[in-house]
Amino acid sequence: MGVTADPDEDLVRRVGQGDPAAIQALVARKLPRVLNLAHRMLGDAVEAEDVAQDAMLRAWRQAPRWTPGKAKFDTWLHRVALNLCYDRLRRRREIPTDAPPERPDESPGPDRGLLAVETGERVNAALRLLPDRQREAIVLCHYQELTNIEAAGLMEISVEALESLLSRGRRALRQTLSDMAPQTRVPDGRASYRDAGRARGGGR
Amino acid sequence: MTIERLTQLAQAYGADLRRWPDDARVDARALAAADPAARRILDEAAALDAVLDASARAEARPALRDRVLASAIEAGLRPRARRAFGLDRIAWTLGAGWAAAACAGIVAGVGLTSHVTADDRADAILYQSTLTGVDDIEVLG
Repeated sequence: MGVTADPDEDLVRRVGQGDPAAIQALVARKLPRVLNLAHRMLGDAVEAEDVAQDAMLRAWRQAPRWTPGKAKFDTWLHRVALNLCYDRLRRRREIPTDAPPERPDESPGPDRGLLAVETGERVNAALRLLPDRQREAIVLCHYQELTNIEAAGLMEISVEALESLLSRGRRALRQTLSDMAPQTRVPDGRASYRDAGRARGGGR
Repeated sequence: MTIERLTQLAQAYGADLRRWPDDARVDARALAAADPAARRILDEAAALDAVLDASARAEARPALRDRVLASAIEAGLRPRARRAFGLDRIAWTLGAGWAAAACAGIVAGVGLTSHVTADDRADAILYQSTLTGVDDIEVLG
């Protein structure tokens, strides 16, 4: 995987020097990102918090000895968080429980209506039904907005294999959530696809 | 780009071309502009994207944020005062200088001592041999 310029490089260097402002900035930048990754991978708000806290602790330990240029810090943090998620998913398989972990996020924002919360929870429930690898591919590419090369690198698969996982995952989600699609369907004839010049960088 | 490839990519990455591979975006845009079938495929993918975007987001609670910030201190991340760091460095450098000087003194001292000792021992042996020679002459007559 080619390493492009790391937007977190300077921040991580300052964190490694113990700069309090940099530590706060890294929390603001990365904690929600890691938390949502874990939340969608595990489908459990409490476990997601544990993973996010553990991943950030590892980030603090890594920051003083972070070597720029080897990998992007965000990709490294995703690797750490994904490993922690897979540890928990493995444990779930080894110790089956009667009740599946479906504790909903109990902290809806004030601007979210009840319907939006219900809709959001339905989508998350559909994500939980996917096989782990399909869910991982969709979480990394759609929600975490990693490039296809970054996601394939993290999953240690080819880009073609990633595309296959994404296609199968999206097809399954479309079937599970088919009753929701018509409400959000874009009328024919309107260019609904987006191609704004936002640079995501590093894509194949 | 063929309509088949565009379909594959839309099924994998959705309708947002920013998620697509870099080298496919320009061709996909051109095909969508020219072919209504391509636009329809992207519209279908956009409908699923919109559903996925409704996914509930987890908010980082203040308590979690506080725990994470506290863990930075537990991990040993403390601000280092620039001035103290400078003084430490100077003190370390001075200490190292004194230590180096002391070592050099010891080495020189040992070398000098062994040189002097060797000279003295040589003189003593020479003196003793002289005495022995005198005795031998006297004895042998």
